[in-house]
Amino acid sequence: MNWKGNPNYLRLVLGTQVLFFAAWGGWLFASRNTDSPEFYLATEPVDPRDLFSGTYVALNYEISSPRGGDCPRRTRDLGRLFVKLEDKGKKAVTAAGEVPVYEAVDCHANPPQEPGWAKAEMIYRFGGPVAMYGIERFYLNENDPRKDARSGSVLAKVKIDRNRSLVLLDLVEKI
Amino acid sequence: MASYYKKLRADLEASAGAGIITPEQAAAVYDRVYGARPFAAFRAAHWIGAAAGLFVALGVILIVASNWDKIDAPTKMFAFLLLFAGAGEAAVRLDGKPAAAVPLEMVWFFMPILGIGLYAQIFNLSGDPVKPYLVWAALAAPAALLSRRPFSAYLCSALLFFTLYSGTLSSNSILTLTAARLADEQPLWHWALALAVLAGGTAVFPGRKLSLPLGASVVWLFVMLLADTAIKIRSSALILLSGMSLAALWLTWGSEPEDDKAGLALKTWLGAVYLTTFFWHYKGDEYVNRSGADTAAGGALAWLLFAGALLSVVFRPQRLLPAGARDELAGKVLLTASMLCSFLLFDANEATAKAVAVTANLLLAAFGTVSIMSGTRDSDEKQINLGVAVLTILAVTRFIDIFGSMLRSGMAFIVTGLAFGALAYFVNKGRKALIESVKK
Repeated sequence: MNWKGNPNYLRLVLGTQVLFFAAWGGWLFASRNTDSPEFYLATEPVDPRDLFSGTYVALNYEISSPRGGDCPRRTRDLGRLFVKLEDKGKKAVTAAGEVPVYEAVDCHANPPQEPGWAKAEMIYRFGGPVAMYGIERFYLNENDPRKDARSGSVLAKVKIDRNRSLVLLDLVEKI
Repeated sequence: MASYYKKLRADLEASAGAGIITPEQAAAVYDRVYGARPFAAFRAAHWIGAAAGLFVALGVILIVASNWDKIDAPTKMFAFLLLFAGAGEAAVRLDGKPAAAVPLEMVWFFMPILGIGLYAQIFNLSGDPVKPYLVWAALAAPAALLSRRPFSAYLCSALLFFTLYSGTLSSNSILTLTAARLADEQPLWHWALALAVLAGGTAVFPGRKLSLPLGASVVWLFVMLLADTAIKIRSSALILLSGMSLAALWLTWGSEPEDDKAGLALKTWLGAVYLTTFFWHYKGDEYVNRSGADTAAGGALAWLLFAGALLSVVFRPQRLLPAGARDELAGKVLLTASMLCSFLLFDANEATAKAVAVTANLLLAAFGTVSIMSGTRDSDEKQINLGVAVLTILAVTRFIDIFGSMLRSGMAFIVTGLAFGALAYFVNKGRKALIESVKK
């Protein structure tokens, strides 16, 4: 049988590709559709860059080096880790008023089934272990002034989805 | 290559003009030879079509990347899915019309990365930089394999090799093979995935010309042996042994059509031997040994590569010199010697390193001489030129490298020039004798 140029096989491949993107998009929407509270994180924007997805601000977080509770011991190992995020009284002022800024208070490999635990991946970067949450890029329009945000001038508005992953919702300027 | 066809046409026309062959025969010979050239099946229109598709795809990616924040996410995603299905379906329907199908295939090939970029933008996705490229290659490979034209397959193979190199050498990805920090070994499944990507890149490469993907694989493996991986090697002897073995393997297994030369594989082997000549300046292994000792796996792999290369050289036809029984033994001896000379470095000191350098110089000198003899015998001008080029580069390097002073270098240049003059005389004499023997 000649596979080359067979329109039925090619349509099957095309259908699989389109279905993959439809399913992935649906999954992304569904996993983010939760009633979990939205909160803010202190960020340290690194630099904006261009790639296939366009302009984005590369973000580092204070919680990228978690220090509370068991964290100093647990962050020595690379791989999967859960970090407990809580309001410990730190505040920042935005256009919407004063908002709480969450901090990392504990770390665990197998956390209890309670809200507030966010999934992270410990990797080794620039000479030390760093917790990556999958919220290290915020994409914006190439004319958006926030792409030039300086370190400490913006907050990341986030929430925890059904899979305990942090979801980046917005980048909010501090006043 | 184009100049060859021009010259062929001129020679055939001259022969037809001289009455040696008829104009019809001249045209038939030219058409036959010209039709068998690489990429003969692709007309200029196909290449322009491929470029058109490439530009349109990149343009769409940039427009999407500018981030239309006025349009809501579901609309953007739905529009993308429609565009994806439309481009693919149009490519399938217009498959018989290359002027339209080639650009559409290009657009189709780039649609997955466009979608991944769009989704990353909408959902602010970040993380492993290698995953998007792997997903793109996995989604695009089936269509590339099913396509009647090779453009998508070439791009897909290049994408897989690019991902392999960048991923395995990066510090934090699912393909990372280099140690993140001292004593941190990467999981075994990273190796399995890297080898799967390597196999995929080779399998997707269109046609039966495996020399390029084999070369890319060989170079990648050598880089992995040199990098801080689980198979790292640090002793000069093992580095030289594995490097020469890989060059010999590429040269022996890089299957080319019979009328083709070994090309890049041969140049790589020559380059490797040429670099070996610089062992003359060897001062010890301190520099390469700074990042630890050989790993057991790396050592075992180096010996395995040597065994494989040795068996291949013995049992496969050599491709160092043009095919032909008369040069078979010379080619095999040169290849084997290039690997065996690394054994001198197992007790590495300045004396043994100099012996390696001298051996490498002799190998290149022998290759150059045999090439000239072989080219003269077969009236192969290209082979003669290659031999002369190797001898010239070798001589110039050594004069500057070893003799140092202008007086000594000048004398050496004159002596070599006279030697070349004598060589040219004997080559010409040999050619005349060959022509005479044909006339008789």
